[in-house]
Amino acid sequence: MNWKQTGRASRSLLRISMAEGLQYRASAISGVFVSVFWGIIECVLFTVFYTYSDNGWNNNGLSLEQTISYVWLGQALFLFQRMNIDGELMDKINNGNVGIDLCRPLDLYTHWFVKSSAAKLGTSWIRSVATIGVGLLLPAGYALGAPESPAGFLCFLMSVSMAFILCSAYAMLVTAIRLNVTWGDGPTYILLLVSGILSGTYLPLRLWPDELQTFLYLQPFGGFADIPIQLYVGSLEPASALPGIGLQLMWSMIFIVAGRIIMNRKLHTIIVQGG
Amino acid sequence: MISEVKIYGKYLRMHLLSGMEYKGWWLMLIQVFVVVVTDPISTVLLFSRFGNIGEWTVAHIILVYALAVASFGLAESLCRGFDYFPWQLLRTGEFDRLLLRPRSLFVQVAASRFHLHRLVRPATGICAVVWALSELEVPLSPRNIAILVMALAGGCIMYCGVFVLTSGVAFFTVKGLDWIYLFTNASYQVTRCPEPYLPQALKSMFSFLLPMLFISFYPAATVCGWDYPAWPGYLALPAGAAFLGCALLVWRIGVRHYKSTGS
Repeated sequence: MNWKQTGRASRSLLRISMAEGLQYRASAISGVFVSVFWGIIECVLFTVFYTYSDNGWNNNGLSLEQTISYVWLGQALFLFQRMNIDGELMDKINNGNVGIDLCRPLDLYTHWFVKSSAAKLGTSWIRSVATIGVGLLLPAGYALGAPESPAGFLCFLMSVSMAFILCSAYAMLVTAIRLNVTWGDGPTYILLLVSGILSGTYLPLRLWPDELQTFLYLQPFGGFADIPIQLYVGSLEPASALPGIGLQLMWSMIFIVAGRIIMNRKLHTIIVQGG
Repeated sequence: MISEVKIYGKYLRMHLLSGMEYKGWWLMLIQVFVVVVTDPISTVLLFSRFGNIGEWTVAHIILVYALAVASFGLAESLCRGFDYFPWQLLRTGEFDRLLLRPRSLFVQVAASRFHLHRLVRPATGICAVVWALSELEVPLSPRNIAILVMALAGGCIMYCGVFVLTSGVAFFTVKGLDWIYLFTNASYQVTRCPEPYLPQALKSMFSFLLPMLFISFYPAATVCGWDYPAWPGYLALPAGAAFLGCALLVWRIGVRHYKSTGS
């Protein structure tokens, strides 16, 4: 395996995907509409619950303004998560082109990792940035607020990049599992759904029942969105950023190692489908 | 007309049988069930943390939400072909073949796909409606059942209209149809918010642009006797039909405009 070569190939893959993502501007614009609409409905819902419910005080340290900022950042970070396995890789698995990729002088795991994460970044960064932009421009009450502190914002940025790696590592683990062609899409779909629910983009994790809070903090999927966003809105102080980012790092390592092991084991016995 | 219904039935039967050939076909049922059940989880958790909103309990919300979801699911099961139309028929140029056949285009496209697992969504939705009604201690009298069935039928027609509209617009745009998500999966999220607290703009949009409230909230209010005039509860069918009518108009124009794509 040649690391230098793999690195160079990865860089070009990233460049290609970024250029490709810029081509589909109309689709990005309509995507922003959907994100903003979804965000507005969530904002309305949270406002109603915070203002009119019987025990609106019971918010576990997340005020309404913080929750609304959470919603907008959640909409943006949600785009890092996979709803399904990268289409190109899926095609390769289904029609047997895994064989061709194995012939390349690149490490298959690294190659696919970069390929799928670059494809994700290329198509979603415009939509993420635009959604955040709209969130900032909305009238007060529905608007994305300023970060709690400059330090918090720095931690947020670091945690976001870590979140992207974590999401990609998890997607690769799921892809490696999907190499078992005969299982079909069911198990992978459920794995991705669970990660989505526990990431906090459905509902801020702080608003889940109190008994679950420790579990929700330690489980891997909070690192997808919840930890970075909490650092931004200030419900997690910059002082606790280090453990949070450490947690993201630890889970990324675990996912990468597990993905590699499963993939390598599968490749020993792989049956290339199709011709 | 009768022959069209027969063809529709034959198509569905064919898709059903071919789907059952796959050994793991029931796995998809579980998968869709998980998706459907986890969708309202955030609403339920919010209620458990914040308590009721005035008179609104979790059962109220689930009733309105489940009505909307069930009718969406019904439309998705029966008109699945339209959902796939832009990708599977239009862009490949496959649509030319349908145009050659002396049968209704609507039936041919609608029945070009059918997946058994799509029926899980309406089934779960209807169960949830029944649960919510028993929780609210509303009797299932013939009048109530009639209103609910009309609401489901109207909702199904309305969502069929959404799918037809997507396909009609696809003739012009061919790609870039993400916005239609607003009218499908995002539209019923509105019902998670209690109607009296919904901002006026959203309320108007989902009564007059897409008659969402007429197929979910108003029938529910009439059935449970909430503090609303009863007559909007009976309007589900005409509202759905009006929406489908407009959608069919767009579809018509689209078919006229169609120049073959693909090869």
